[in-house]
Amino acid sequence: MKGMSKRYLLAAGCAVCVGLGVFGAVQESAAHKDPHDAATLKAFQDLFMEQVILGDRLFHGDPEAQQEMGVNLSKTGMACAMCHPISSDIHPHEFPKFQEQMSEFATLRDMVNWCIEKPNEGEVIDVNSEAMKALEAYMYWSNKGSVLDPGRH
Amino acid sequence: MQKKQPHDNGGSRIEISRRTFLHNTLLTGGAVAGAGLFQTFTTMNVAHAAAGSFSFAWVSDTHLYPKTLNTRFIEKAGRAFKEIEEMGSSFDFMIFGGDLAQKGDPVELQLGVDMLAEITSVKKHFIPGEHDWYLDMGEAWNRHFGESPWMFDHKGVRIIGLNTVGFAPDYWTAKGMSPKERMGHMEALDGSQAGPWSGLGREQMQWLSTALSDWPKNEPVIIFSHTPLYEVYPGWNFWVRDWRQVHEVLAPYGNVTNIHGHVHQPLYHETDNARFIGQLATSWPWPYPPTGVPALTRPMIRVDPGDIFDGVGWGTFDVTDAGVENEYKMWRKEVFAVAQHDSGTGDNGNQILTPRIADRDWTGN
Ligand SMILES: [Fe+2]
Ligand SMILES: [Fe+2]
Repeated sequence: MKGMSKRYLLAAGCAVCVGLGVFGAVQESAAHKDPHDAATLKAFQDLFMEQVILGDRLFHGDPEAQQEMGVNLSKTGMACAMCHPISSDIHPHEFPKFQEQMSEFATLRDMVNWCIEKPNEGEVIDVNSEAMKALEAYMYWSNKGSVLDPGRH
Repeated sequence: MQKKQPHDNGGSRIEISRRTFLHNTLLTGGAVAGAGLFQTFTTMNVAHAAAGSFSFAWVSDTHLYPKTLNTRFIEKAGRAFKEIEEMGSSFDFMIFGGDLAQKGDPVELQLGVDMLAEITSVKKHFIPGEHDWYLDMGEAWNRHFGESPWMFDHKGVRIIGLNTVGFAPDYWTAKGMSPKERMGHMEALDGSQAGPWSGLGREQMQWLSTALSDWPKNEPVIIFSHTPLYEVYPGWNFWVRDWRQVHEVLAPYGNVTNIHGHVHQPLYHETDNARFIGQLATSWPWPYPPTGVPALTRPMIRVDPGDIFDGVGWGTFDVTDAGVENEYKMWRKEVFAVAQHDSGTGDNGNQILTPRIADRDWTGN
């Protein structure tokens, strides 16, 4: 699943870069030198939704999704969604902010790890891991339209 | 790097914002005895009932896991049961309001049976929750705790226990779900597959109508149900889908009190003839839903997710000539929020939420 996502991204990237022969050497880092066509936008969106769905499964404690990603988010049988149905009461749009539980200025990813470690008694994950990105994708997608209000408590 | 800390304000802000709020200022008058003396007893006066005095206890939503997986819900249920046992002589009965188990698992239900057996000082009545039901369609539940609905009269009050969880429209057969899959989809509060599972259904609606038919219209009725008998938030089945019909059946009766679980939070609502009171879970608190919380609800304070005993507990009810008084036996000093930023609903006003997606197209394996 992970491998497939990466290939998808690369294909979309190449479609964008067609015709940039002269910049071939920097092809992979060049972005948006040509207008995006519908297929490219769809490829980006599909990739995003793939991550949202993976994140949704992780968030709801799906054992297969955890196995696929090599993570163990909970040892108590509890899942993120048990305290946060439909991602409610997470407020991803309020991060970063001071987080009382940790007594520190925290990002959403820091907070995810706190929940994995404390209430769930699971194994914390790398803040830049694929699983973390998928969880983040799901939480932001679920709260789409909420007004950005960083720092709010 | 040094972690940034907010200025220490000596805790004075916390003192002010966490004082216990008394709900009865919104409701009918009446003294709230003891509330000022015992901060842990958070009391509200909810109805005038012309009945003999008695008290009862409510406990629900223990969501027991097998001991091997996690014992925190067992600890909390055990604490509530022990407190009820110790106070048993002050109650005429207790209600267990459903969601004893988490996955309807026979091991979980048996654990619940064993733990409830430790309560011997008070008579027990039971209604099921959805977590108790959808592995075997209530077979083990009914064997252990008897069938529902049921009714009895007690000191001038008609008391009814409903089964609002066992009559879901069939979401499993067409998709070929195994019993475990059926329960799995039911288990997630925000799942998409189990649909509007909460309701009385036609037969039970008829039963309710008949059960009330010989009862004087102005005499008090108390109805216990796992899910609320009005619409709060259908997406989480914080309702019964046939609540309009329920209200029609109840309309002729002037003094109805519905006490319900499932929501894991204080909720309060009134109609012309009825009031609806949501109870705490012993296991964990749900956040308030993004919409639908009744205006009369005084929301509970945001809880500390690092303290497993926070935001949970059980409840007592005193029925007297002056009314029905409900105390949330929450294991913290403050139950209700004063400031909006401390409240579970006030704080959530800035969320725009989308229902989950990964299970929407579930078509079986
Ligand atoms: Fe529950
Ligand atoms: Fe429930």
